[in-house]
Amino acid sequence: MKTQYVLSLLLLYVILFVGWQPAQAQDSTATDSVSIEDIRRQMEESQSKEQPKSPVPVQQPQSVRATSANLNPDISAITDFRSLYTSRGDRNWDAYLQGVELNLSAAIDPYARADIYPVFEGEKGQLDAKIEEAYLQSLSFPYGLQLKVGRFRQSFGRINTVHRHALPVIDVPVAYEAFLGEALTDQGASLSWLLPNQAFYQELIVSVTRGPDENPLFATSDGNVPLKLVHLKNFWSLTDNATLELGLSGAMGSNEVQKTSKLGGIDLTYIWKPVRFNTYKSFKWQSEFFFSNTEIALDNNINAWGMYSWMQYQLSRRWFVTGMYSYTEDPNIRNIEEQGISATFGWYATEFQKLEFGPKLSTDNGFSDTTFSGLFRWIFVIGTHGAHKY
Amino acid sequence: MKQSYAITISVLALFMLFFSVMSASAQVKVVTTLPDLASITKYVGGDQVDVFSIAKGYQNPHFVDPKPSYIVKLSRADMFVTVGLDLELGWAPQLLQSSRNGKIQKGNPGYVDVSEEIALLQVPTTTSREEGDIHIYGNPHYWLDPVRGKQIAQNIYRHLVQINPKNQAEYTKNLKAFDDKIDQKLVAWQQKMSPYQNTEVIAYHNEWVYFEQRFGLKIVDFLEPKPGIPPSPSQLVKIINEVKSRNIKILINSPYFSSSSPEVVARNTGIQIVPLATMTGGYDGIKDYFDLFDYNINKLVQALGNNQSTN
Repeated sequence: MKTQYVLSLLLLYVILFVGWQPAQAQDSTATDSVSIEDIRRQMEESQSKEQPKSPVPVQQPQSVRATSANLNPDISAITDFRSLYTSRGDRNWDAYLQGVELNLSAAIDPYARADIYPVFEGEKGQLDAKIEEAYLQSLSFPYGLQLKVGRFRQSFGRINTVHRHALPVIDVPVAYEAFLGEALTDQGASLSWLLPNQAFYQELIVSVTRGPDENPLFATSDGNVPLKLVHLKNFWSLTDNATLELGLSGAMGSNEVQKTSKLGGIDLTYIWKPVRFNTYKSFKWQSEFFFSNTEIALDNNINAWGMYSWMQYQLSRRWFVTGMYSYTEDPNIRNIEEQGISATFGWYATEFQKLEFGPKLSTDNGFSDTTFSGLFRWIFVIGTHGAHKY
Repeated sequence: MKQSYAITISVLALFMLFFSVMSASAQVKVVTTLPDLASITKYVGGDQVDVFSIAKGYQNPHFVDPKPSYIVKLSRADMFVTVGLDLELGWAPQLLQSSRNGKIQKGNPGYVDVSEEIALLQVPTTTSREEGDIHIYGNPHYWLDPVRGKQIAQNIYRHLVQINPKNQAEYTKNLKAFDDKIDQKLVAWQQKMSPYQNTEVIAYHNEWVYFEQRFGLKIVDFLEPKPGIPPSPSQLVKIINEVKSRNIKILINSPYFSSSSPEVVARNTGIQIVPLATMTGGYDGIKDYFDLFDYNINKLVQALGNNQSTN
C-alpha cells in the first residue's frame, strides 16, 4: 500500500512539474477564456444582428467626498457550500453548507485596528455560531513591534493563520488536523518583531495565551500554565518572480491530562509568479513538518511526527490544479498512522467566487482502511474582503 | 537569574538602538504604490528624496502580490504615496497594516493619497459587483492624464513640505519646473494627436478614459465585457462585428494582458494591436513620467498614421 502511495505521489508531482515551464512564460497567450470555435460559431449566428453601441457614457469630473458611511467597518460574508461522495459508511453522498464566515474590519483609532470574524459552522450543515477570531492589532508601536490582543489563530507554521476558504485544497492535510485540529486558535496576546535585518525579511512572533478549548495537543490548564508559542519567519525574494519562505515554530503548554505537550514545526514555501503575467501563471510548493512530544503520564511520553506537501500550478487565468500528500502519526496514541493524497482542480470565476473539486484517497488505522472520496466546494464572497497574506 | 534578564534586555535595547541609528538618513524615504507616483515624487523631491515603487511598470496595478519584503521598505519609510480610490485595495492596505510604521498610516502627513482634489471620471451612480470590478469612487487610472499629473505633484509637494519643511524652497522650485515641463510637453503631445481627434479605438480594459479625454481619442468598447472579467467568446464576437461595421483600426492592449484575445480580433478584422504602457517602466525606454506619454503618443501617432496612409 505504501508503495502505491509513493508511486501515486511521484506521478502527481511529475505531472505538475512537466506542466510547469516558467522559463518559457514570457507571454501567456491562449490563456483568456476564449474558444476559437465558439467565436466562429457565434459570429455566424450574429451576422444578421444589429451592431452594439458604445458602452461608456461620458461623465463630468467629480471629486471624492467623505460620508458617514466611510466610518462603517468593511463587512463581508463568505459561504462555503460542499458536496461529497465517500466510499465509507452507509450514506455515500451528501451536500451541505460547511459554514458562513463574516468579517468586520476597521481602524479603531490612529493607533490600532480590529478584525472580528463571527462564523457559523459545524458538521454536515448543522451550524453553530461562534467567534472564530476577534482581535486588536497595533499600527504604530516603535522598534518594528506589533501587538495583537484578543482571540486569534496562532502563528504556528504556514496554514494555521489562513482561513479554510482561502486554502487551495478542500480538506486540510491529515497531519495538520492531527496536530492542530480545526485550527490552533487561542486567547491572549502576541507580539511580533520585524527584525532589522538588511539582507532579508525576518519576523519573530512570541505569544502567550490561556490554552485552547479544543485541540489535539493543548488544553486550558487547571493551574497557571499558559500556552507559549514562538514563530520565526524568514522570507527571501530570490528574483522578481520567485520567493522562498522558511518558518520555524515551537509551542509548549498544558494538555488534556494536565501534563506538558510540546510541538515543533518547520515550514517551507517556494512561489514562482511572473510579475508581468501574475494573473495568468503561477506555481507554489508548500510543505510543513510537525514534531510533537506529549506527556500522557509521569515518564510516559509519546513522540510523533507528520508532514504535508502540496504543489499548486496555475494553468490559466481561471484554472488551478493542486496535488497534495500528507502523512501523520497520531500525537496522542502510539502506532496509529494516517495518510492522504488528493488532487484539487479549482476554477476561479473572479476574486469573489471559486469552485473546487477533486478526488482524495486516505488510509488510517495503520493503513488497513482505505477511503476514496470525491469532494466539491463552492466558495462565494459578498462585501469587502481584504487580501490574504502572501 | 534577575541579572541575566537585565543583561538580555540591555543587549536587545542596544541592538534596536544601533539599527535605529544605522537607518537614520537625511533623505526623505518614500515608498509609492506605482512607478509613476515614484517618478513624480522624484521630480518634486529631487535629491532630497529616496524613492521606491512597489509595483513594476509592466505589472497589473490591481493585482500586486503583497510580499513581506515590501513590509521592510514600508517600515522604514517617511512617506507612502498611493493612487487611492481602491485601486490598490487588494494589496496595499495589508502591507500598510503590517508595516508597524505610524508615520505612514492614514491621517498622518506621511500618508499621501494623491487622488485628493483630482477631478474624477466614471463615478458610478450604483455600486454592484454585477458590474464587474468597478471602483465605487470613480475610475482610478487618472495618472494617465498629464494635467491631472500636475495635481498629483501638488499633493506630493504639500506632504513633502509638511514632513521636511526646511527644503520647501527646493520642492517649490522643482514643482514649478515639473508643471512647466508638463505644460510645454502637453502642447507638443496634443499637436501630434490633433490630426486624429475622435478616432475610434478598442481597448482591452477600461483604464484609458483620462488619456482618451485629454488626447481626443474615442474608445468605443473593451475586450473585457465588464471591468476585470476576462474576454468571453460572445464579447469577442461583439467586438469583431463592431470593428468591421465602424471600420476601427486600432486596438490598445496593456503590458500585462494576454495577447490571445486581441490576436483573435486582429485575425478576424485586420485591426492593428497597439501595446501602450499604462505606467512608467511599462516598456523599455520608459524611464519616467514624461517618457510614458512620449512613448504612448509616438506609438499611437505611428499606428494611426500608417493606417491613414494605407486607406
